Formats: sequence, C-alpha cells, structure tokens
Amino acid sequence: MTVALILIPLAAALIVAFLPLPRRSTEALALGAALAELALGIVALIQFDTAKGVQFAADRLWFGDLVSNADARFSVGMSGLSLFMVLLTSLGVFSAIATAAWIGRARPRAYFSLLLMLEGALVLLFTARDLVLFYTGWEAMMIPLYVLIGVWGGRERRRATFTFFVYTLIGSLLMLVGVAWVGITQGTFELDALQNAGITDAGPFFLFAAAFCIKAPIFPLHGWLPLTYRESPIEVTALLSGVISKAGAYGLLAWALPLFRPVAEDYQWWFAGLALAGLVYGSLVAFRAPDARGVIAYSSLGQMNLIVIGIFALNADGFTGATFQMVNHGVASLAAFLLIGLVELRTGTDLFRWLGGLANRRAALSTVFLFATMFALAVPGSSTFVSELYILLGAFRFEPWLGAAAATGIVLAAMYMLRWYSGIAHETEGERVDPTTPDLRPYELGIAVPLVLVLLAMSAWPSGVMERIVS
Amino acid sequence: MITLAADTVPVSWSAIAPEIVLLGCACALLCIAVFMPLGLGRVASAGVAAGGFVAAMVVSVTQYEDTARYAFDHTLRIDSFGQAGRLVVFSAGLLAVLVAWGSPWLRDRAVECFALMLTAAAGMSLLVVANSFVTVFVALELFSLCLYILVALDVDSLGSLEGGLKYLIVGAVGAALLLYGSALVYGATGAFEFDRIAEAVRAGDNRDPLLLTGLGLILVGLGFKANAAPFHMWTPDAYQGAPTAVTTFMSAATKAVALVTTLRVLVVAFPEQSELWTTLLAALAIASFVVGNLAALRQTDVKRMLAYSTIGHTGFLFTAVAAKSVLGTQALVYYLVVYAATNIGAFGIVAVREREIGRPVQIDDFRGYAYRRPVLGVAMIVFMLSLAGIPPTAGFIGKLTIFSAAVDSDLTYLAIAGVVATMVALVYYLRVPFAMLDREARVPIVRNRSGMVPASLAVAVSALAVLVLFFIPGPLLDVAKTAGQSLLGG
Repeated sequence: MTVALILIPLAAALIVAFLPLPRRSTEALALGAALAELALGIVALIQFDTAKGVQFAADRLWFGDLVSNADARFSVGMSGLSLFMVLLTSLGVFSAIATAAWIGRARPRAYFSLLLMLEGALVLLFTARDLVLFYTGWEAMMIPLYVLIGVWGGRERRRATFTFFVYTLIGSLLMLVGVAWVGITQGTFELDALQNAGITDAGPFFLFAAAFCIKAPIFPLHGWLPLTYRESPIEVTALLSGVISKAGAYGLLAWALPLFRPVAEDYQWWFAGLALAGLVYGSLVAFRAPDARGVIAYSSLGQMNLIVIGIFALNADGFTGATFQMVNHGVASLAAFLLIGLVELRTGTDLFRWLGGLANRRAALSTVFLFATMFALAVPGSSTFVSELYILLGAFRFEPWLGAAAATGIVLAAMYMLRWYSGIAHETEGERVDPTTPDLRPYELGIAVPLVLVLLAMSAWPSGVMERIVS
Repeated sequence: MITLAADTVPVSWSAIAPEIVLLGCACALLCIAVFMPLGLGRVASAGVAAGGFVAAMVVSVTQYEDTARYAFDHTLRIDSFGQAGRLVVFSAGLLAVLVAWGSPWLRDRAVECFALMLTAAAGMSLLVVANSFVTVFVALELFSLCLYILVALDVDSLGSLEGGLKYLIVGAVGAALLLYGSALVYGATGAFEFDRIAEAVRAGDNRDPLLLTGLGLILVGLGFKANAAPFHMWTPDAYQGAPTAVTTFMSAATKAVALVTTLRVLVVAFPEQSELWTTLLAALAIASFVVGNLAALRQTDVKRMLAYSTIGHTGFLFTAVAAKSVLGTQALVYYLVVYAATNIGAFGIVAVREREIGRPVQIDDFRGYAYRRPVLGVAMIVFMLSLAGIPPTAGFIGKLTIFSAAVDSDLTYLAIAGVVATMVALVYYLRVPFAMLDREARVPIVRNRSGMVPASLAVAVSALAVLVLFFIPGPLLDVAKTAGQSLLGG
C-alpha cells in the first residue's frame, strides 16, 4: 500500500514527461494519477487500525554494511501522523494540478511531471522509517520545487529561487552530516531502533533542527518565505504553505524529538520562545501586508510557529494540537492560496488596493472565501478552533504565561483574516474589479468545495482525526 | 642494485593480457590506416576499437579474483582493486568511442584517434596495477603522450592545439617531478617496488629527509594527473580545447587511474608516513574544493564549467584516499565508477549539442533543450544532480559513503568542507537544469545529426548506470569493498 502510494505519482511523472500527448490529455492524465493517489490514500484511511501502530509497512535492504554495520533500508510504513500527512499531500497535489490545468501553465508536460515528482518525494519522506530514506525524500522534494519556482515563477523568480535554494540547502546539507553522525554513533538508521534513543549530544540535534526549522519556518529562519511565496506559481505557493511547511514540523515530531528527546528538553525554552516571537511577528506583519498572498504567507508563518509551540510544549495536549493543526492549517491554507489564485486569474493582481467588492453579485465566490476565512481565524466550532485550543492547553501546562501570550496570536489571526476577507470581498469595488468579473465557474467550485467540505467534516468529527493521528 | 637480468624474471602473460589485447588492436588499426580506404577505414577502426575495449573488459572480468598476486618480480600487483580500475578505464574507452563516432573532426583522423585511445587505455591499464615506480613512470608516460596528441587532434581548432600544448608542458613538469621523487625514494630505500619500499622504511629511518622529499614530489606529480589544485592549471584549457570525445575519455579514465595509483602508492609504499601525507592530501583537497567550485561559478562554457567541477571533485576523491581505510577505498571505487558514468554522460550530451549547433556549447545553448530532446534533457538533469550528490542519483550514495569514511577516520573537517563545497557547486550545476527547462526559450533548428545514435546510446547507458546504482548500490559497494580489502587486507 505505502509502496504503491510512493510509486503511483513517480510512475505518472515519467509517463507524463515522456508521452507526447496534447495539453488536454496531459492534464487529464496528471489529474487522473493524482485522483488515484487520493483514492488510495482514502482506502488507507479506511483500513487504518488505530490499535496497531505503524501499518502498511514494507521493508527491504537497500544497501548494507556501510558504517558501523548500519544498513540503509527501504523501509516505509504509516503511523497515524504519516497517514494524515500523506492524505494532505495527495489532496494538495490534486487541487494544485486541477488549478494548474485551469490556469493553463506553459509547458504542461514538464510542469505536471514535476508536480507529480514532488508528490512522490513528499509521500516518501512522510512514510520513510529509515533515516537515509527520509533524507532521500527530503532532498528529492527540493529539486522539483527549485525548478517549479525558478522556471514558472513570477518576475523576480531568479532571486526567489536563489534565496529559497540557499536557505533550504544549508539546512539539508547540515542534516546530511547529522545523518552520517547518527549512522556512525548509533550503528543503525532505522527509526524503530532509534526511537527513544535519547541521544544527549546537542550538536547533532541542531544539525537536524536547522533543516526542519528552516523548512517550517521557525522565526528567525523565515527569510526565504516572503519572496518565495510571492513569486512562486500560486499552486506551488499553496503546496509550500499547505503541505511542504508541514514536512518541517513532521521532521521535528517524527525524527528530531524521538532521537534527541533530552536535548529538546534542555532547549525547550529557546524553541518555544522563538516560536512565540514568530507567531506574534508573523501575525503583526500579516495585518500590514498590502497583498492577499502576503497576508496568507505571514499568517502561515505565524501558524507554523504556533504549531512549533505545540510541539515544544513537549506534552500530550501540545502534540495532539500540533498534529491536528498541521492537517487543519494545511487544508485551510491550500484553500486560501488557491482562492487567491482564482482571483488573480480574474483580476491579474492580488493587491488590496486594486481589489474589493468581489462579494457583490458573486455569491459562490464570496461564500467559499468566507468559509476559508472562518477556518483560518479558528471560529469556535471549526476544526482549527479545536486544534488551537489543544495547542494552547499544552502551552498552559508547560508554562501558563506562554499559553497566555500565544493566545494573542489567535486574536491577531481574527484581525488579519477579516481584513483579508473584506479587502477582497467587501469595501468599494477596486479598479481591477468590474461588473463583468465572473463568479466561480463549476470547475473552480470543483477545486474549492472539496477543500471546504474536508474542513467541515473535520469540524464535525475532530476526534475521528485526532484519535488516529496520535496513534 | 638494480638487476636487469630479464631472464631471471618469470614472464606472466596473463598479468598483462588486457594490455596485450589493447596494443594488438592498436597495431591492427595502424595497418588499417595504411591498407584501407578512408571511408571504410573509419568504420573498421571504430569497430576494432570498440571490440578491443570489449575484449579487454572480458579478459579483466575473467581474471577477476579476490586473491592478489605479484607479477614480473613485484613490478605489477594484480588485485581486484587494480582490476576494478581497469574496468573503469575500458568502459570509459568504449563509451568514448561511441561519443566520438560521427564528430566532424573525426572524419580524416578516425584511425589515429582510436589507435591513440587504445594505446592510452593500455598505459592506464598498466598503471592501475603498477607496483613499482619504474612501471608507474613508463605507464604514465605511455598514456600521457597519447593524450597530449589526442587533445590536440582537432588541428583546425586553435583551442585544441593550445590545450594540447599546455597539457604537454604542464604534464611534462608533473612527470619530471614524479620521476625525481621516485629517484629520491630509491636513493633512500634502494627499492622501486612499493612493498619493498615499505619494508625498507620499516627497517630503517622513516624520517629520512630524502625519503620525505621524494614522497612530497611523487604526491605533487600525481596531483597534476588527478587535477588537484594548485596543480590543476592545465585542466580547464585542455578539457575545453580537446575534442569533446577525448575530454569524455580523459575526465573519466585519467581521473580514475590517477586516484587509484595515488591510493596504492600512498598506502602500500608509505604507510609509515601516513600522518604526513594525510595532512598534505587534506590540504590539496581543501584547495581543490575552493578553486574548483569558485572558478566554476563564473563559467558560461559548459565544458569549461565541467572542467572546473572535476577539480572540485578531486577534493572528494582525495578525502576518500586520506581516510586510508577499507571504507575509504570502498567509497573511492564506488565514487570513481559513478563519477566516470556521470562525466561520460554529461560530456556525451555536450558532444551531441556541439554537433547540432556547430560551435562550443554555452549554458544558454541548452535553453529549452529538454522540450526538444526530452531524453537527453532529462539525462543531463540526472547527471547534474548526480554531480551535486542529490538523490535519486548514485552521486548521493557516493557522497554519503565518502562523508561516512571521512567521519569514521576522524576527518570530519574534510566532510564539512565537502558539504560547503557542495553547496557552492549546486549553484552552478543547477544552472543547467534551469536552462534546459526554460519555458520561454525557442530551440534553434538542428543542423547536423550524424552520429546521434551511438552518442545517445552512450548517454543512455551512463544515465541508466547513474540511476540503477542509486536504487541498487549493493553489488557495486560489495565489489568496491573486496577491492579495498585486496589492497589493504582485512
């Protein structure tokens, strides 16, 4: 099952790249593959048994006996967290491909092939149970991203790619040294054997943490984020914010903490404190951003830091909240960015001063936007409300005033999200908006509505997700 | 005392069987040049050259065994480490013949080119099993002289002549230093054979200045051949000026034999001085990282960029040598095979593009190329990722093994230097994929398509090797390990 989930997108990427089909067929093929992946993910969700721990495992020797007799194994399997990350990935890539097909990207064969490759790498990294394999997925994810941003990005794509590239590469190469270190000192690369290894060396922990914290990003390592989110094609921005940032949080939760728990406890305050600074900073900047992408980009920074607060509370409530919030925020920011993409398609801009008044006579568009807004600001009753509550609970348990301070982030979220919504949908009609600007088409609703439905389903039954995700 | 009584030395034909095959084919080619008309001779010579390389490969494979033996009174040591080196050389030769076929400069000089390549390969093949400084010098000169001519073979191109001349002058200096160093070591120990030198050193004074000077000079001499900074200055001009098929052959084969020999000389002849030469190698490695990668950043010509990148890679290879362990040797052999495949493929694509546009290839000439020729385009992206050491390519496992060997031998600082070098290197390697996938570029119309099929075949084989060695690295790593054990024992 897991192997199939990894291979479907990779095989589809090859077929899409080399089969000289016309545009429509290429799009259909890519969309079909992404849909198959999503369907298989849902089958996995149904078959997943909360009592059984890691499931759908496959394990084969990859190459052995390298250092200190440590084998690198092709070992994959799904914990509850992996399962939901895989689902989030397949949902995200499916929506991204659907959006890209609607927008009509140049050179579709290369574009869709790269998106599918990205999906394969992400699924690999979320399901890997071996450190070398995890690193492989981590690196393999970067390459399609660089190319997608560097070739299909906006006007400043070169600078954006370069910044993104330098930041993320420094992180991943530091992690490579950490991987070699773990292999030599522990004599194994397997997660199950390393689980609760309780390594007390701080240096290697920071080698890993650097990679994950840049990717998440945790304050103050977010320097790549504004430019990259602004210049990437909108589907890629949606994936960056919705799915790929979660890879950083996943790395912390699934690898750094189990391996280096004592070190994490020593530096708990540093990480929680920086994340708090990031939450407040991101939320404040989001409130001042002049463009719709900027608001969601900085809000995403704030939310990821909130997740890191949950993680570094280092207690059960914090973990539950952080993992659930990873899923919630993933879907919510996918929806927000893809909706911005649909607005950009109509008006050619995402600056608030050109926009406004889109709610007028555009019922579908404004409704979907309103849903996205409410989930992003964590209205009571929404799934995001539940997960943020758990994170705050975890933070309170760790240190009451940290929880209190983190709660301000949620107030700020309400402020910037309402500004975002009203800047697009309400106020006076902007220059780029005129009465002929169309409402959402049925195809576009097909992209946006499933995301909203997923959020509603998780709101109606949060425990359905939470009891699986922590298993 | 040197005893030159040849009748007392038992002749072991099997030890030099691959060389005999190659030189026999080279002689056959010279006959072809005389007796056959040009057109027919061209086809026949390519056939004989390819056949010669395949035959030499078959001979080496059948002789491949784990136990080592000496031949010609310790002047040769036939072990699986040397045989692995031989196989890299022969495969590189075979693929280089495929890349060369159809090149415009080859029209009038096919026979000479292939005869020289076979002779060079014979010299290289002898060098990787050489166990005596006399053999080393003879073998080195044999292949170097052939390469000087090969680099300058495109006599219509000024760059080719210039590259050949520079290579000749600098190469001669390197060879002279090596010879001088060998003489000093002989003066100190009274032996040319590596194992006897080590014995003599153990018995006598291992801080003898004569010996240490000799060692230093030998290392410098080998550094010239291994493109190590600061002895690299011939590399960019020779690589850029040489006909691309020759560059292909040089970058893969010369590199491999230079490193194999360096490792063999150092660990077999000078184990007592390992502290000294580890430091020297580390210094050369760091210099190569810095010079190669920083200079490559500024290049726009693809061949020149790859030439500087090869200098940077010497840093990694020297790191593996400096580890002086079985793990290091294993890493070295694995990396050399992968590196050879990657470079042959990359230069092969440059050769194809060169023929299409009829001038040296700039990075911009690849703009949008992946849309026109998807297979070659994707292959080039794979090669660049492999050079940068990024999964899913074999270059990643090569880097991982070398880093592990370095950390294992307390050379963590070299691993970190390598990490930094990789970071810089990615900036220029990734320029090629970005150009390849440029969505707005319009690829100029193709002019010359001759020889597309063999060159593409060579590229495809290399790309496949780079990918397969990532997914199934086990067998090659095992072979590399036994090669390491055959050299170091244990």
